[in-house]
Amino acid sequence: MKNRERIEGMAAARLVILDGATGTQLQARDMPGGACPELWCLQNPESIKAVHRDYWKAGADIVYTATFGANRYKLAQYVAGADACQINRDLARLARQAVGETCLVAGDIGSTGRFVEPFGDLDFEEAVAAYKEQVRGLLEGGVDLLVIETMVDIQEARAALIAVRELTGTYTMVTMTYESGGRTLNGTDPVSALVTLQALGADAVGCNCSTGPEGMIPLVRAMAPYAKVPLVAKPNAGLPVLRGGETFFPMSAEEFAGFAEEFGSAGVKFLGGCCGTTPEHIRMLHARAQGLKPGKRKEHVPAVLSSARRSVCLASQDPLLIIGERINPTGKKDLQEELLSGRMALVKRFAQEQVRRGAALLDVNVGMPGIDETQTLREVVKTLAVSTDAPVCIDSSVPEAIEKALRIYPGRALINSISGEEHKLEKLLETAARYGAMFILLPLTGKKLPRSSFERQKIIRDIHARAQGYGLTKDDIVVDALTLAVSADPGAAKETLATLRWCSDEFGVRTVLGLSNVSFGLPERRWINSAFLAMAVSCGLSLAIANPMGEEFMQIKRASDVLMNHDPQAREYIAHASDPEEKDGGVTRPDAPVRVQEKNRSPAQRVYDAVIDGSRGEIKDLIDKAVAGGVSPRQLVNETMVPAIQKVGELYEKKIYFLPQLIASAEAMKEGFEHLAPLLEAADACPKQKGTVILATVKDDIHDIGKNIVSLMLKNHGFHVIDLGKDVPDREIIDAVIRHKPQVVGLSALMTTTMVRMKGIIRQAREAGLSCPFLVGGAVVTKAYADSIEAHYAKDGVEAVRVVQALTGQGA
Amino acid sequence: MRDPVFFHAIHLDMPVEAVYRRLGYRKAHTQLGPGQRRDMETVLEDAAGMIELKGSALILKADVGRGSEVTLETGDVLRSRGLARMLSTSRKVLLMGATAGNRIMGEISSCSAGGNLARAVVLDAAASEMTDSALDWISACIGQQVRREGLEVTPRRFSAGYGDFDLTNQKIMYERLRLGEIDVSITDACILLPEKSVTAIAGIRKAERKDGGKCQ
Repeated sequence: MKNRERIEGMAAARLVILDGATGTQLQARDMPGGACPELWCLQNPESIKAVHRDYWKAGADIVYTATFGANRYKLAQYVAGADACQINRDLARLARQAVGETCLVAGDIGSTGRFVEPFGDLDFEEAVAAYKEQVRGLLEGGVDLLVIETMVDIQEARAALIAVRELTGTYTMVTMTYESGGRTLNGTDPVSALVTLQALGADAVGCNCSTGPEGMIPLVRAMAPYAKVPLVAKPNAGLPVLRGGETFFPMSAEEFAGFAEEFGSAGVKFLGGCCGTTPEHIRMLHARAQGLKPGKRKEHVPAVLSSARRSVCLASQDPLLIIGERINPTGKKDLQEELLSGRMALVKRFAQEQVRRGAALLDVNVGMPGIDETQTLREVVKTLAVSTDAPVCIDSSVPEAIEKALRIYPGRALINSISGEEHKLEKLLETAARYGAMFILLPLTGKKLPRSSFERQKIIRDIHARAQGYGLTKDDIVVDALTLAVSADPGAAKETLATLRWCSDEFGVRTVLGLSNVSFGLPERRWINSAFLAMAVSCGLSLAIANPMGEEFMQIKRASDVLMNHDPQAREYIAHASDPEEKDGGVTRPDAPVRVQEKNRSPAQRVYDAVIDGSRGEIKDLIDKAVAGGVSPRQLVNETMVPAIQKVGELYEKKIYFLPQLIASAEAMKEGFEHLAPLLEAADACPKQKGTVILATVKDDIHDIGKNIVSLMLKNHGFHVIDLGKDVPDREIIDAVIRHKPQVVGLSALMTTTMVRMKGIIRQAREAGLSCPFLVGGAVVTKAYADSIEAHYAKDGVEAVRVVQALTGQGA
Repeated sequence: MRDPVFFHAIHLDMPVEAVYRRLGYRKAHTQLGPGQRRDMETVLEDAAGMIELKGSALILKADVGRGSEVTLETGDVLRSRGLARMLSTSRKVLLMGATAGNRIMGEISSCSAGGNLARAVVLDAAASEMTDSALDWISACIGQQVRREGLEVTPRRFSAGYGDFDLTNQKIMYERLRLGEIDVSITDACILLPEKSVTAIAGIRKAERKDGGKCQ
């Protein structure tokens, strides 16, 4: 406790100076490349003590032990059976011997080099156990604080922090490493990391490595508005540059130290150096930091939830947040079967669909008869952690299931819910506090249903008071105002609305409703639900548990956000209203830019446009109109559609169109042809087949998308195509040629190893007396190779049509 | 390190420009209407939801002879003059594999068979680019880990089937990376399934740093 007070006192009074890079200092003392730094330090104790001493004398308040890689997984890469605990203890003692008691010693904890589930194969509990081993050694070695650093995987950082917290209350800092895009390699942004780690009990959070001071300041500024804990920064000495084939960090000590003030004003309380920094950098930093007062911490920090890759702020002026309710097996037979069998396809689909339709959070409930709820909820939460960015709302009546799910979830989750039921209350509050989760407070006690707002208010106050005993505040709570059916109790909605208003205006806490229960037992429930939503929003509702797939519901939500001034300048509302997908029920018109933009186009001209645009959705109607207007089907094909697809080919060759446009046009053409076919037959006007082409992807090759494009293009140009598929044995191709007597045989291959089969197939065909021309293509096939096997070559579908036309004497 | 490291969920942003380029989009020439661009965005968004990138990586000591043989500490011998040249300054190699998973391939097949080839080619291009990006990611990830030893991963990598590095070597890569554990299989012809699965080898060499480079 003495150390904690000392560190907190230092951070409150001034900028605390951390040490700089260790590895390079060891290299300068002849540590060979490829050596295990920890083991080398133990063999060369005076070297590491000198490094620590140099940083201390340069002005560092805290030096890190040389234990970054002293975990069982990293050590095993160098030596079998190393005693991680002992190595940590001995290295911590060396640091203490070097700097004495005047300088603080931080026990350094780095990555295992493995990714922790659900992002990798390292079992979460194994990771926790490995870190406990390291932490025990560091504590035995007498460290003053702990630092978990250079983390790229938020789950690994969580495992390390949980290990620390399950062993000790020692002051602990956690710093992640962000790439140039502002995310860790594993995709975590600084705010999400901060929210997750400070909720889990980190005493200070920040970033180190990967970037210089200029790149790190924006990361710190992003975190500052959400930081309840001090921020830490340990930047590199600039970005590495190559000079004469050698890489080095260019920033001088003076330039580096020049950023001290900016870091301080951005909210940093602990500042040091990473790659490329030296005792001189720290000396200059210490000098510049003298007299600098660290920035004041914000009085009030908004409540935020997080996943591994996104944070969701629950600010009172923000739009109503939707908690998607669909991941719940009640009444969903398919989902029930999936969950029972351990499959997760529907869970992923429901999650992604809801997020796309506007859900900010995802409620997860797996409760049903016959299921192991604890195990299943844990698996579903793991699945959601990797398949969606939305934070989760863990919905269960089983405290153990909630606890296991929170432990594995790599973010800050919302518990749904904690009520006043005595037998669960303490356990759940303790769980929420331990994992830093927010929770939905349900004003029930397990006894009489509180029908009036007054009764609910009393329960809310009681549970809040109990929660305070666990260090939880109103910012950690969202009150469910209770939705009861108006069909059973006509006054129920009014009591709910009164509770909402009290929470919002008097008690000062966020609120949530599961809205749809209000309309239970009534017809046309959506209107009741929508009206109730609008009323609830006006009473201060913050979140709604609902199905975002319901269009009316989401429209009312957007409109309510505008009316409550929660959607500045109605931006979201206008953006949504002007989205043509929404206006046209999801059918978009491609509106290609190259089409002739004229008014009063004739129906036939509009068929032409539809092929050019690739508008397969409308071509049939346009054809019907053209035919009804007196254009003969044959005319339509010969004078409109064929010229259109030829024009598309030209546009593609000039690169004005790219592949998706070419294919969309070809598909519109095909759709049009198929629609016209009965009319052409009836008029005895079917276009004459221009010849037969056999297509195949050769044996052992499974890639067929290019061949499918060629097939589509040839069909559109009047050829009869026999597509043998992919991975086709040589003999099957030869037999098909004998049977169908095609004018051309097209062979496709994507791999160099399968391309060579083409030669054999052509040889076998010639040996069988077959003289038909072969056309070859595919990613690795070249004109030179085609020439060498006496085949014709086409680089793409458009050229394939031209070559086949030439081979069959059709011309363009 | 004999056991590979597995990455069960690699999260990457869709490399949109690369997907467009792969599909033949040329900034100075190609004209795309707003509706067409929106359609592309929708398909790419769908692709992002269906691509489930997984990977594995393994660092092995390697003996690179003067000729065309690279002998791994497992006893496997990789024969390729180009590979040996690329690894000439490396004493260790990084084997890596990545897959876009089965879900996206199922969607591509069903679009292809169901007459929506335009969607299929965009999904296909997205899956290819994402899988390649996953190898970049693995390389960067391992690079960060070996940096503290003063080592770096070579920026170039080789894949079986490239140049004189025969596709049959894919079998060795597949087995050493234990790709079966991330639901990848290999055919007798050494092709990985699902289709958007790749392996590659890069070198790990001493980083030529004058100053800094260690995080420890």
